[in-house]
Amino acid sequence: MADHAAQRDAGRELPRLGPPNGRHAIRIANLQHYFGQGALRNQVLFDNNLEIAPGEIVIMTGPSGGGKTTLLTIIGTLRTVQEGSVEVLGHRLDGAAPQELIAIRRKIGFIFQHHNLFASLTAFQNARMALELFDFDAAEMKSRITEILTRLGLGHRIHYKPGALSGGQKQRVAIARGLVHGPQLILADEPTAALDEKSGRDVVTLFQELAREHRTTIVMVTHDNRILDVADRIITMVQGRIKSNVLVRESSLVCEFLLQCPIFARLTPRTLTEVADQMVAERHPAGAVIVRQGEPGDKFYVIRSGAVEVIVEEAGKRRTVATLGRGSFFGEAALLTGAPRNATVVAKEDLEVYTLGKEQFQAVLRASASFEEEIRKALFERQ
Amino acid sequence: MRTPLAWHNLTHNRRRLAVALAGVGFAVVLMFTELGFRNALFDTTIQIPEKLNADLILASKAHKGLVSFERFDRQRIYQARGCPGVKAVYPFYLHFYGVFWKARGEVIHPIRLLAFSLSDPVIAIPEIAVFARALEEPGTALLDRRSKPLYGIPRGADPVAAQPAIELNHRALRLVGEFELGTDFLADGNLILSDRNFARFLPGRAPGKDPLSVVDLGVVQVADGADVEEVRDALARLLPDDVRVYTKQAFIDREIAFWNNSTPIGYVFFLGMMIGFLVGVVVCYQIISADISDHVPEFATLKAMGYRNRYFMGFVLQEAFLLSILSFLPGLLVSLGIYTLLAKGTGLLMVLNAPRAAFIFVLTAAMCLCSGVLAMRKVLAADPADLF
Repeated sequence: MADHAAQRDAGRELPRLGPPNGRHAIRIANLQHYFGQGALRNQVLFDNNLEIAPGEIVIMTGPSGGGKTTLLTIIGTLRTVQEGSVEVLGHRLDGAAPQELIAIRRKIGFIFQHHNLFASLTAFQNARMALELFDFDAAEMKSRITEILTRLGLGHRIHYKPGALSGGQKQRVAIARGLVHGPQLILADEPTAALDEKSGRDVVTLFQELAREHRTTIVMVTHDNRILDVADRIITMVQGRIKSNVLVRESSLVCEFLLQCPIFARLTPRTLTEVADQMVAERHPAGAVIVRQGEPGDKFYVIRSGAVEVIVEEAGKRRTVATLGRGSFFGEAALLTGAPRNATVVAKEDLEVYTLGKEQFQAVLRASASFEEEIRKALFERQ
Repeated sequence: MRTPLAWHNLTHNRRRLAVALAGVGFAVVLMFTELGFRNALFDTTIQIPEKLNADLILASKAHKGLVSFERFDRQRIYQARGCPGVKAVYPFYLHFYGVFWKARGEVIHPIRLLAFSLSDPVIAIPEIAVFARALEEPGTALLDRRSKPLYGIPRGADPVAAQPAIELNHRALRLVGEFELGTDFLADGNLILSDRNFARFLPGRAPGKDPLSVVDLGVVQVADGADVEEVRDALARLLPDDVRVYTKQAFIDREIAFWNNSTPIGYVFFLGMMIGFLVGVVVCYQIISADISDHVPEFATLKAMGYRNRYFMGFVLQEAFLLSILSFLPGLLVSLGIYTLLAKGTGLLMVLNAPRAAFIFVLTAAMCLCSGVLAMRKVLAADPADLF
């Protein structure tokens, strides 16, 4: 668990604000999907929208029948896009020719709930089947297979057939087969369900490495809450709809940050998480006007990094009343009183803020007496 | 090199493989046996022309097969000798209808006579040279060792030493030795005689004329370096229209075609072979489709990885072809055993040569590939969308 914590530290840079130059690993817009035809036609996906950046680890959860696996098969090109648009690894899937879909499939690593290994082939040969679609020479294939099987704790079972392996070992061979060709996207269905705690951890650690070092995107359906901590994003699907889509890594960073701010310090962890979940990160260059005096207030701001100047205009004179830095907040007064902004806030240097919308802010106030108290106290002190 | 998945899947489960090979091998044996019977029947009919030392064979215009005994004038032999490119032409006599064998005064049974001038090298039967001197004596003959026992001479007994009292067409016959030829649809036994003895036993063969003046076949040998077909054409031009000239192979083919077309033998055994083929297709389909059904998720996984349909078609055909090779070999061995048993038990001429084995192998491969094509639909239907 030690290196686990280290990883979290390593990731504690700026939270991602969407992928650079608009390149997504997966982009889904207005996706509808139906099973059956005619009178039996039954809609199973409703209006799904989703954007996933390269290198993200996404966990999909939700009750069975919620559409997770349907969505997964569509992303994996195993089902045709019926309505809406789906882009995977830069390729549009809707309207793609079969040959193109096969080319996309080869960039994907599939891990199924069942191992689906050929009983007649050894672990080595099963994994080799995944490499024979590409132009690897025999030596390269051998080193890749040996490396990944060893990495998954099967170095001593390389030339065993599935019949001589335990359930967990078979699943790990299947995982090796899904990863050995270096896919840019991994789609996995309960990859750790058949594994014990240690092998399950080994597998997700490998996933994290691939995500970090090769920007491999990983989407897995899982109910295994032992591995929820590796997710960058958790998507919950219920009845064909994406019920929630949360950047976990970001919200946990926000949580940790908020805890360092006095006004949030006394919130219960639950409320804190709710606040963090609802916060949106914004970036502003130096000199940008964040809040303009006299305008209606719609957001509450917490400074992640950088600094702002608070300027009050009175009788045509501009007066800088305060300079706020990391961990400070502003914008609460207008939300509490309903009055227009009482000051202008300008970014003094490049700025990152978390914002909370008016309604969410008021909801938090109602939920937490201590928060309201802190906020009012702060307001009082400022005036 | 790609992992030979078809081979691994086929050989992984040894017990299943054994059952599969037994099933397909059974079909192979069935086809071999039917072909064996068919060929045995045809082979027996061509034993005589096969043994003739002939490049070309002269026969009467009316000749249809060796059972028809249409004859031509001996003059044609002399005329043929004058044709350029011809080294030698020998008359060859056969007689069956009206030849009766009687041993110990009891049994009367027809027997076929083969006759020629003993100095003419017309037929490749080594015993003729051995017994040539004895055969010159009046009333002598060689008996076919493979004649049926109904001639009163028990199998294995030495007819020369036993010297049973034999009459041929009411004249005393003395056996001086044995040779080996074999029986066929027509004759249950054969005798070889010198042409002079032949004439003695059959004084009425050509009523009012020398019995040897009508000939059954002319054995033509072509001069060294002459082209057989050119000589055939030259002979055909030279000789009157009452005789025909065939190459030895054409003569043999005609003989087989005669039996094939004028009797249901060819059809019956062809049908038998087709049944073997169909049994094979069904068994082979069962094996291949069971292999596919048992591995649908695995095949679907390969599809998800990006394997194309072409790969799966190749896989099924490979598996079918391997199955045909693997089951052909034991099938061939068992068939050889059955051929030997049948040949010993029935006296039928069961010959398993390379072209016939190759023919059955082609049928076996076709049989398995048919099943493969039938089973292909199954593997193509495997849907990776069902895997998650």
